Amino acid sequence: MFCEKAMELVRELHRAPEGQLPAFNEDGLRQVLEEMKALYEQNQSDVNEAKSGGRSDLIPTIKFRHCSLLRNRRCTVAYLYDRLLRIRALRWEYGSVLPNALRFHMSAEEMEWFNHYKKSLATYMRSLGGDEGLDITQDMKPPKSLYIEVRCLKDYGEFEVDDGTSILLKKNSQHFLPRWKCEQLIRQGVLEHVLS
Amino acid sequence: MFVSDFRKEFYEVVQSQRVLLFVASDVDALCACKILQALFQCDHVQYTLVPVAGWQELETAFLEHKAQFRYFILINCGANVDLLDILQPDEDTIFFVCDTHRPVNVVNVYNDTQIKLLIKQDDDLEVPAYDDIFRDDEEDEEHLGNDSDGSEPSGSEPSEKRTRLEEEIVEQTRRRRQRREWEARRRDILFDYEQYEYHGTSSAMVMFDLAWMMSKDLNDMLWWAIVGLTDQWVQDKITQMKYVTDVGILQRHVSRHNHRNEDEENTLSVDCTRVSFEYDLRLALYQHWSLHDSLCNTSYTAARFKLWSVHGQKRLQEFLADMGLPLKQVKQKFQSMDISLKENLREMIEESATKFGMKDMRVQTFSIHFGFKHKFLASDVVFATMSLLENPEKDGSGTDHFIQALDSLSRSNLDKLYLGLELAKKQLRATQQTIASCLCTNLVISQGPFLYCSLTEGTPDAALFSKPVSLNLLSRHLLKSFVYSTKNRRCKLLPLVMAAPLNAEQGTVTMVGIPPETDSSDRKNFFGRAFEKAAASTSSRTLHNHFDFSDHCLRRPSLSSRCRSCLQAGSSQAQSRPGPGWCRFTPRAVAPAGRSCLRCVRVMELKAEDRSKFLDALVSLLS
Repeated sequence: MFCEKAMELVRELHRAPEGQLPAFNEDGLRQVLEEMKALYEQNQSDVNEAKSGGRSDLIPTIKFRHCSLLRNRRCTVAYLYDRLLRIRALRWEYGSVLPNALRFHMSAEEMEWFNHYKKSLATYMRSLGGDEGLDITQDMKPPKSLYIEVRCLKDYGEFEVDDGTSILLKKNSQHFLPRWKCEQLIRQGVLEHVLS
Repeated sequence: MFVSDFRKEFYEVVQSQRVLLFVASDVDALCACKILQALFQCDHVQYTLVPVAGWQELETAFLEHKAQFRYFILINCGANVDLLDILQPDEDTIFFVCDTHRPVNVVNVYNDTQIKLLIKQDDDLEVPAYDDIFRDDEEDEEHLGNDSDGSEPSGSEPSEKRTRLEEEIVEQTRRRRQRREWEARRRDILFDYEQYEYHGTSSAMVMFDLAWMMSKDLNDMLWWAIVGLTDQWVQDKITQMKYVTDVGILQRHVSRHNHRNEDEENTLSVDCTRVSFEYDLRLALYQHWSLHDSLCNTSYTAARFKLWSVHGQKRLQEFLADMGLPLKQVKQKFQSMDISLKENLREMIEESATKFGMKDMRVQTFSIHFGFKHKFLASDVVFATMSLLENPEKDGSGTDHFIQALDSLSRSNLDKLYLGLELAKKQLRATQQTIASCLCTNLVISQGPFLYCSLTEGTPDAALFSKPVSLNLLSRHLLKSFVYSTKNRRCKLLPLVMAAPLNAEQGTVTMVGIPPETDSSDRKNFFGRAFEKAAASTSSRTLHNHFDFSDHCLRRPSLSSRCRSCLQAGSSQAQSRPGPGWCRFTPRAVAPAGRSCLRCVRVMELKAEDRSKFLDALVSLLS
C-alpha cells in the first residue's frame, strides 16, 4: 500500500520518548522519496494520456496518486520538522557542545542547522544585559535562592570560585556556593544538593 | 583573646568572607554547626564544612585548605591547645574558636591578633594574669649585657672597680634568684590552672545566643540549642547546677517562641513545630520503647535496682507491682500501653521511685512535637544522634557517619532519626549487658589508687565500645553501677580506668579515665595530665588523637616496672618549658605525642604491649 513507509517514519519518531533523538533514518526517507518519484512519473504519463487520449477513466487513479503524494510529503515534512524541534531542545539541555553519541544521530544538514541555531542564540544572548550578555539557558525555572548547599560525593580536587580562589572538594565536605557554579558539577554527579 | 561583642567582632567580620568550618564529632558540635549553617544560609555567607574527629584530621585538613581560606571557625576543638604552635598558620589567618573544653590554653587567651575565642567570660574561667605567666626576656638580657660590659677589666682604679664589680655581682645574683622564684611561681600557677579539665557552656547555646542577638533565632535553632545542652548533661560534662541554670535560660526562650499554643482560639496547626518544657522521667527512650526495656537499660535505674543480680530483678518486679502496672502492659511498646495507665504515669513512677530510693527520677527537659506521630524528648534525640555518629558499621568512613548524624537533626530527615533511635536502643542494651557481665565476673579490680577494668577482644559489642563517646558512657555507667554493687567503702571513692580493644591488627587499645563518683562532683577530670605523664615516662607508644585528652591509644604488650623510676623523674620535668627569649608555655614539649590539655574524659589510644607498664606508671603516679 502507498504511504506505508512514510507512516513508518512518523511512527518511529512518535515512539521515541520526549527529548530523545533517534538516528536519522536515511533509508526510510530515501524509500519514501523513491515511492513519491515513482508515483509522480506514473501520474505524469497518465495525465498526458488522459489529455491526449481523452481517457477520462484514468482521472480517479490520477487523483488517488496525487493524494498519496500529498500524504507522503506531509509525513516527511512532519518527520523532519519534529527532528529539528528535538535538536533545538538539545541545545537548551546540553549546552553548545553535544555529546558524540547524539551527533552521530544527526544528518549533515541537521548539524548545519544546529550550528546556525547556536549562532543565532549566542548573538541574541550577547545583545541582552549590557556589555556582557546574559546566559538565558541557565535556570529554566526561577531559582529559590542564589546560593545552595551542596555536599561532595567524591574527591574532585580544586574548584575555582568567582574571586579566583579555589575550594578543595573532598568527599563528605559540605559547601555553600552560588547556584550557577554548582549546576555543572551536580549534573556530573560530583556534588549533591542538600535539602534541609 | 576573648570576643566581647559576638556580632560585631565575629559575625560581621565573616559575613563578607568565605570561611572554613572545622566541626568536632560530638552532638553539641553538630548542633552548634546546624545553627551556624542556618545563619550563614540566611546571609549568603559562603562556607565549607569539614568534619574532624581528632587532632591528626584537623592538622591534615588545615594543611589542605590553608591556601584557600583566611578565616577558620573551629567548633568544639582547639581551645585547650596552643593552636598556633600546632597548626603553624600564616600571619593573616584568623581563627574563631567556639569550644566547651576548659581550661583554655593561655596562649590562646593572650594572643590578640590571630585567635578569637567565642566563649562567654562569665563562665568560671580563672585564667591566670598576664604578668604571672609571660615576661619579656629582653630586659633581662640587656642587664646581663651591661653587666658583662661593666665587668671588662681595665686596671686604672682597681679598688673602685672591685667594689663596683662586687655590686654588680650581687645585683646579678639577686636578679637571677628573682627570676628563678618567678619561674617556680609560674610553674605552680600553670600547673594549678591546667590540672583539671572540665567543660563550659554548650557551643550550641553560644551560637543560639548569637542568633538571638541578631534577632534571627527560630524555633528550630532553639531546639538545636536544647539538644546541645542535653548532650552535655547526658555525658555528665556539666554539673547539675549548671544544667538547671541553662535550662532556665532556655525555658525563657521556649516560652517566647511557643506561647501561641496556650491560647485556645489561635493555636497553630498540628504540623508546626512546638517545643515545650517538660518535667519528665529520666528513663532513656521510654516513649519509643517499652517501659520495661527502658527501666532495664537506663543506667540510673539499672544501677540502683542492681539489675545484674537476681535480687535486683525481683526488686524491679516489686517496683512495678507497687505502681499497679501489669507486666504484660509494661513489656509492650509504650505507645500501645493503655491510656488509663499512661495518664498519671510520671507522677506514679516518681512516687514509687522515691520509695525505692531514687529521688531524682524526674528531670527538667524539653520535648518537640510536630505532626500527629512525632514527639521526641531532647534526650531521645541526643541518644539517636550519638549512635549515628558512632555507628560501628564499617561500610561508611567516619565522615559518612558524621554526615548522617548531621542530617538526622533536620526535621525533614525523620527516617534517619528513627534509624538512630534503633541504634541507640542497641547501644544501651549492649552497654547494660557489658556492665552486668563485668560486675558478675568481677572484672573491675582495684589497682590501689584507682579501679581498672579491661574488655577483652572476644566481648560481644567490643566494636561498639572502641569509639570514645560510647566507651566513655560505658565507663561512667560501669563506675556508677560498681559503686552500688560494692560494699567496700574505700572502693566507692576511687576513679576508674577502662581499656577496650581498638584495632586488632595494630594491637591498640583505647583507655579511658573517669573521675570518682561523688554527689557533689564538679566534673573536673585530672586524668589527662596523669595519662600524659605516665605515657611520657614509660615511653609507651601512645596516640592522643581525641580532642578529649583523657582518651589514649596504647599498644598492648608489656610494660615493665623499670619505668616506675622514670615516672617519678619525669613528673617533675613535665611542667614547663620556657623557650628561648619569649617565655611561653609550650605544651608540646611535655610529652612526645601528647598535649597538656586536660579534658573531662580521658581517652587515649595505646599499643596493647605497653598497657601493663603504663598502668604501673599510673599507679605509682597517683598513689
